Amino acid sequence: MVQKRVLIFAEQVNGELQPIGLELLGSGRLLADKLGATLSALVLGSDIAHLPPILIGHGADEVFLADHPELAQYRTLPYRRVITDLIKSWPEPPHTILLGSTTTGRDLAPRLAAHLETGLTADCTDLDIGPFEYANSKDPSKSGLFPDCLYAIRPSFGESLKARILGPWKNPQMATVRPGVMVPLAWDGSRRGEVFQVPVQLDPSDLSLQIVETVRNLSQAIDLMRAEVIVSGGYGLGSPEGFELMQQLAACFPNSAVGSSRKAVDSGWIPYAHQVGQTGKTVRPQIYIACGISGAIQHRVGMDKSQTIIAINKDSSAPIFKFAHYGIVGDLYQVVPEMIRQLQQDQSQPQANLSERIPVLQGH
Amino acid sequence: MESFVLIKQVPDQSSKAGINSDGTIDRAKAKRMLNPFDRYALEAALQTKRQHGARVTAITMGPPPAIEILYEAIAHGADRGLLMTDRRLAASDTLATAYTLAQTVRYAGSPDLIFCGLQTTDGDTAQVGPQLAERLGIPQVTYCEAFEIRDGILLARRAIEGGSQTVTVPLPALVTVANSAQRLAYPTLRGARRVQHLMRDEAARAEVIQIINLDDVGADPERCGLKGSPTIVAATEKVGEIGGNCQVFQGQSVPSLVKSLTEAASISSYSYAGAR
Ligand SMILES: Cc1cc2nc3c(=O)[nH]c(=O)nc-3n(C[C@H](O)[C@H](O)[C@H](O)COP(=O)(O)OP(=O)(O)OC[C@H]3O[C@@H](n4cnc5c(N)ncnc54)[C@H](O)[C@@H]3O)c2cc1C
Ligand SMILES: Nc1ncnc2c1ncn2[C@@H]1O[C@H](COP(=O)(O)O)[C@@H](O)[C@H]1O
Repeated sequence: MVQKRVLIFAEQVNGELQPIGLELLGSGRLLADKLGATLSALVLGSDIAHLPPILIGHGADEVFLADHPELAQYRTLPYRRVITDLIKSWPEPPHTILLGSTTTGRDLAPRLAAHLETGLTADCTDLDIGPFEYANSKDPSKSGLFPDCLYAIRPSFGESLKARILGPWKNPQMATVRPGVMVPLAWDGSRRGEVFQVPVQLDPSDLSLQIVETVRNLSQAIDLMRAEVIVSGGYGLGSPEGFELMQQLAACFPNSAVGSSRKAVDSGWIPYAHQVGQTGKTVRPQIYIACGISGAIQHRVGMDKSQTIIAINKDSSAPIFKFAHYGIVGDLYQVVPEMIRQLQQDQSQPQANLSERIPVLQGH
Repeated sequence: MESFVLIKQVPDQSSKAGINSDGTIDRAKAKRMLNPFDRYALEAALQTKRQHGARVTAITMGPPPAIEILYEAIAHGADRGLLMTDRRLAASDTLATAYTLAQTVRYAGSPDLIFCGLQTTDGDTAQVGPQLAERLGIPQVTYCEAFEIRDGILLARRAIEGGSQTVTVPLPALVTVANSAQRLAYPTLRGARRVQHLMRDEAARAEVIQIINLDDVGADPERCGLKGSPTIVAATEKVGEIGGNCQVFQGQSVPSLVKSLTEAASISSYSYAGAR
């Protein structure tokens, strides 16, 4: 019998697995079990023999390892070559392929899908396997009952609609998955799995793009994920000193942290670890206070699950007011100090041991 | 030098027109606009015109009204436009769209650079650009924030997690432009005049804006539209706009603004005062 596979692409940076790979394994495990399929992980890089045991411990039944100097850093064409060659070497394509909707996954997945002439759904927040019956008089050749389809579920139209997107006519059925949404399996050292070396044969044309420089500031994770209240500052702060004000506001709440937009991070005002959004962290605190943040879609996807969103922005037409719950139109340098004053006034107890209780103040 | 820019007309979701009560969009009634992300792609293409004298071609696939965004691109300085329009394109997913666009690009010439937006606000997939590059067999630079061209080599900075990456790649190449790149400047007076002229003079328009269909570009209809699309939207479910109706405080004195907000949002209950 031909082996049915669910294949996940595990990203690594400098030999370190990225969290999205383990999240995909968690989600892929559920799908593979429903399908009675093997869960396969694919990882590409250079000097990465230490990665397969991690992937197996987190749920993979087998790992395909492409270890080659030209694969050290992600580049579209070499990765595309190795992965499509591998898939085409199998008697059957995988049932499902999952990648992260990171900048890498969103660069690679559409090239794979176009090469394999198959469907791809972007930025899913939920996945499932289930039946689907299709009838369409305009396209009768596609009609039929399909017992095991990938349900790729994603927000659409400004996130007010959820769409279920299906493509059961051809395998692999592909999706990219939003980071921070799926839950990894707990590590289990007793799990066993097989490791296969993937042959790497590149064409000179695959190497035409060269990486001159990669700058990453992947400082340690701060406790954004666990904070009840997050005070986030954006480019509207105007200077790095603005984050001191953000800290002072955060200090009014016992379980709080300071977040930021990418533009503030890119300006060098605060380390990357504080960044919220598509290429930063996904957070869902009780209260998210956005100060001087316009509310670009890439920021929004990282924080719009927050219980209460409060926006302080001097521009009443800023997009953030479209999805915040409460907002003040005004200068944050007037509003925030007043907010701090009022919150402190409410409070008779002295704030002892602040730095012990507020994660963000540690390490500063 | 030849620069192509791929742009799409999308429903304006900030306007209530054509937005059904179930949240779906009635495209015939909705207000239309140039996909906001494609404004950055257009600016990038115009940069190659300013710096290298490139001829800029704007290409769109869509129903006949999409010609509006070609006029808009010309007002901003694009040299010519192509509208790919055909009933058989209805219900295209990204794979079918990229196939049609690849045929259209081949028909239109051999570009040195193709610029796409990062994503559309209606399709919202960021897939069409890379899928088009795969079909054309050329390298791509996604999430591009800034670039220059030296001796036929593109030097580009991309946004990635936690930082940025600088790459070089020989032309031709496809670039998807990030919305953190250079913003689109205002239309030029010359461009606006040119558009006025084209709208009045049918013969002049036909020289600048070509309207083409699948047969013109030799596309296989089986690979386009519903038939050529491996995916369909099987069901949609309304999840309610998060927040949606923001309670905005403005115009009062700052202390009363803050007081109104903290009370409405019951912030204090999370503070030290509330924790007592
Ligand atoms: C691939 C990619 C990934 C990205 N990932 C992320 C991500 O993970 N996270 C993220 O945040 N962004 C991300 N971005 C960037 C995103 O598109 C926006 O550029 C960014 O979020 C804007 O940051 P901002 O809101 O701080 O700045 P701006 O958009 O410049 O907004 C500043 C706001 O401050 C307001 N303001 C100015 N002065 C004051 C004042 N005194 N008082 C009150 N308000 C004031 C202004 O009205 C404005 O609304 C990404 C972009 C790309 C292309
Ligand atoms: N119908 C279309 N016509 C022209 N360009 C398009 C079309 N659809 C998508 N694109 C281009 O592909 C980019 C990504 O679109 P999407 O994959 O829909 O998010 C857009 O920003 C455009 O540059």
